Amino acid sequence: MADVGQISSSLDGSGEHGQGARQESGHAYVGHSVLRPDLLEKVTGAAVYCVDLRRSGSASAKIVRSTRAHARILAIDTDAARSAPGVVAVLTCDTLTGLCSRFGHIVADHEILANGKVRYYGEPVALVVAETEAAAADALELVQVEYEDLPAVITAEDALAAGAVLVHEVDLPLLDVDNLSPGEGAGSPEGGPRVDNVAHEVTLEWGDVDAAWESAAVVVESSMHFPMLYAYAMEPYNAIASYANGRLEVDSTAQHPFMVRDDLARVFGLPLSAVTVRAPYLGGGYGSKSYTKVEPLAAVASWHVGRPVKLVLDVEESIYTTRVDSAVVKVRSALDADGRFIAREFDIVMDSGAYADNSPLVIAKSVNRCFGPYRVPNLRVRGRSIYTNTSPASSYRGFGAPQGVLAGETNLERAAEELGIDSAEIRRRNLVQPGEEILQGKRGIDADLPADLEMLLSALKMGEPSNTKWYGVGFACSASDAGAFPVSTAAVRVETDGSVIVLSGSTEMGQGSRSLLGQIAAEEFGIELRQVAVRQSDTGSTAYERTTGASRTTTLAGLALQRACADALSKMRAMAAEVENVDIDTITQCPGGFSLEDNRILRYGEIVKKWFGASAGEVTGVGTVRRSGVTKQMPPFWEIGMVGVGCRIDPETGAVTVEQLATVGDVGFAINPQAVEAQDLGAATQGLGLSLFEELIYDGPQVVNPNLVDYRIPRMRDLPSRIDLMLAERRDGVGPYGAKGSGEGSLNPIAAAVVTAVARAIGRWPDRIPLTPERVWRLISDRTDDE
Amino acid sequence: MLPPFALERPDRLDEALGLLDDVSVPYCGGTELLMAMKMNVLRPRCLVDLKGIAELGRLDWDGDDVLVGGAVTHARLATDDDVLSGSALLASVERRVGNARVRSQGSIGGNLCFAEPRSDIATLLCAMEASVTLQSQTDSREVAMRDFLIGAYETVREPGELLVNVLIPKVRRYRGVYLKYQYSERPTVGVALVHDEAEGPWRLAVGAVGEIPLVLEADSPSGFDPHAVAESIDLVEDLSGSVEYKRHIVEVYVRRAMQLAIQGDSL
Repeated sequence: MADVGQISSSLDGSGEHGQGARQESGHAYVGHSVLRPDLLEKVTGAAVYCVDLRRSGSASAKIVRSTRAHARILAIDTDAARSAPGVVAVLTCDTLTGLCSRFGHIVADHEILANGKVRYYGEPVALVVAETEAAAADALELVQVEYEDLPAVITAEDALAAGAVLVHEVDLPLLDVDNLSPGEGAGSPEGGPRVDNVAHEVTLEWGDVDAAWESAAVVVESSMHFPMLYAYAMEPYNAIASYANGRLEVDSTAQHPFMVRDDLARVFGLPLSAVTVRAPYLGGGYGSKSYTKVEPLAAVASWHVGRPVKLVLDVEESIYTTRVDSAVVKVRSALDADGRFIAREFDIVMDSGAYADNSPLVIAKSVNRCFGPYRVPNLRVRGRSIYTNTSPASSYRGFGAPQGVLAGETNLERAAEELGIDSAEIRRRNLVQPGEEILQGKRGIDADLPADLEMLLSALKMGEPSNTKWYGVGFACSASDAGAFPVSTAAVRVETDGSVIVLSGSTEMGQGSRSLLGQIAAEEFGIELRQVAVRQSDTGSTAYERTTGASRTTTLAGLALQRACADALSKMRAMAAEVENVDIDTITQCPGGFSLEDNRILRYGEIVKKWFGASAGEVTGVGTVRRSGVTKQMPPFWEIGMVGVGCRIDPETGAVTVEQLATVGDVGFAINPQAVEAQDLGAATQGLGLSLFEELIYDGPQVVNPNLVDYRIPRMRDLPSRIDLMLAERRDGVGPYGAKGSGEGSLNPIAAAVVTAVARAIGRWPDRIPLTPERVWRLISDRTDDE
Repeated sequence: MLPPFALERPDRLDEALGLLDDVSVPYCGGTELLMAMKMNVLRPRCLVDLKGIAELGRLDWDGDDVLVGGAVTHARLATDDDVLSGSALLASVERRVGNARVRSQGSIGGNLCFAEPRSDIATLLCAMEASVTLQSQTDSREVAMRDFLIGAYETVREPGELLVNVLIPKVRRYRGVYLKYQYSERPTVGVALVHDEAEGPWRLAVGAVGEIPLVLEADSPSGFDPHAVAESIDLVEDLSGSVEYKRHIVEVYVRRAMQLAIQGDSL
């Protein structure tokens, strides 16, 4: 971190964190910045990722990809490729006869291999399986595909135009609607003909918006364009699959192995128990590895050739596998003279690419998150996810919040400017108080936003330079209905030496869940961390977890684990009473065991052994979370974003330097404070990337910058010289010890903060990000003819 | 992934020269070549690895001149004690080439022969009036840097020729500045403004914006007209900027380089 000037917080290595609102923990393991167990093996390179896995007898697959944005497939000639050296087989959609050849957890619209037509440049058309990856790669160009071009819709605007060609002709039913309320699904159960390219539409409305415009002191209209992005996990998608004897085993880079298992079972018509999906360490996910990606390709290849098949994508292929929804968001807000909202109206149009993937959920979440944690008496939001002939979009850290909040918060800033009210003051007047609802019928806000805002402001003030020419400060906030759908399970196994194995289906993808779950188990049992082992993400042997996303692991997987620990403890207490032949009420828990009335201590291991009557045995505890009790009301928790930046502009070049960053992580309780701060810094840094640098650019059917040289992501030198990472710990979450989730919050509002800071510095409001030097220079010099 | 290729590892220069032809190409750091091969832009049959040839690693000083072997890495030029004391400017430019991996692997010869228009070192060497020696099995010729580069990714080097060394005459006497505007992985513009302390004009080289650097001379560092330079230069529009923006940035950076040189903030 040599390039980083000043970072306040535990990232300086002291292990204790300074600023912020915190209640004394009184805990041995949770609430402390323990050393992560995965750290050493990751920094030494010893950690095993999916790409490191080998299976004996395995073949390698490479993908023949579409060279057209939208075209009918007239013929695929695979003869030459089949007879090439080392080639084992070539698969096309015709090979998949007898299988369900489409996947997709919300809309099963995604052909494993293009069937009849291709819908985007880069779409898998055929799969070459060979003895080696090189042999497969060499044979790719021997597969001849004959196309008949169709008109293509490359932008959402084109796709929405009257008479636009249809990307999908059939309207398929929605499979998974747990998370899609409020709003109506666009799919009809029968799968009738489609009439337009709207993949999904969601509306949210209350009050009388139309009546509000008349009574307002100001009505402010603005719109923001959010770019097409790639989440840029360092590790590209890859999988190794083995299909034999009616059983399928897959190791892959999946954030949600259980969801992938369900998709694969549907493809092959197998019982869920016959499909095993494992996710080893992930080299980053950021939502891009949510749901099913390359697993069906590897699986059908193995099914076809009768050998294990490994499929590894490169970065360019990964970009064409899943990107981030771009969006145009229009906002109109009516405020009274005191700066209080009377009404807000949003229209969100997202370019979701050729297949739905998780975009219906992204648009639904964007609708919920765009208008901010404010009292808005009259609201109307319309969100549409649009099919286009571009690479499919899906989840991205923040789930629709980054797109919506950028537009909503900058619109609020413009209103403040028009009313002559300070940015902080206008928020004080509109922010909801703890417990207040922002979505009707949903959980009230489980955070103290007004207090968080004051924390942020105090840090920003400390960093403000005395000379403020070409320097601007901006801040923004957000609240996300987080945690996704509360279905979590966990199991613990207490061994004869009192050590504990934790089983969880939540995936370790760099965020530190292995460490976090270990801390909870150590805390609950009162044992040392080194006595806890955490096993994750194996659908065949770990506990079920619906997803690893929406910042849910701490809150939901943590809660399930806490309950599993309680279950094992309660069983052991009863076993202790039985073996000691005493009344159970005389037995109390103590660290590492139970104490009896005569002050003797029975350690967990002794209880296990005595009860089984041998030096053997195990006690299992299980814990579950569902829509019941503290997690009955949706969402499970609100994830708060509260971020400020100070930006300096070079007026001659338009280059923006972010000199200060301040974040408030309102997490209820930080189980590992250093890990939470690292999540906040990581999320903010990723957000600086999309604010200033990142954008996938389509020129015709193709992305012109599908690589790290041309797609600019943040580097160490881009980090601000002053960084304040603050935690607000008020124990107000439903998770263990009052914890809530973290990981997305600091990304969600940061683009709005950067845009505001730049607008303050240059005196003009941008209408799109990233704020590249040329765009800022054009704003400064009043040139508008570039886009 | 890399397409298949043969690898030769000669340890003598004549042996290497005997191997080079249309499909057998010089390979040293591989920072550009391997990327082009992975992208299937280049598909040589054979890579002739030059790293084992001692004379290509030379760094010979002769009075004020330096002769740099084609296989000398950027990292070595950035950190070598003699380079640091002999030409702080050259060392400082090399210290900021690409990234750490490129600097530790990439060679000066490879950099120049690949003729990436956004090469920092090519711009500086044009300003310093350096030359390169191209040697084949039968012949050897010395070519001035300004004649060596003929277009984007294009030089006068023939397939059987190898860039064996770079001669930078009077490098000890050169003072100047090199400024680059770099937003992305490669610079948008690089501006070198140098002169021989003992004699001669100031030379301005503007690179990265066009296919090859533009080189101009004036009697003093204030003798250039940044606006006229920007108006006259050939520019290529790409992801790092439109022609209009690049023209503006050229003007800004030429002016900034001149200001530094006028103030005496030269290396």
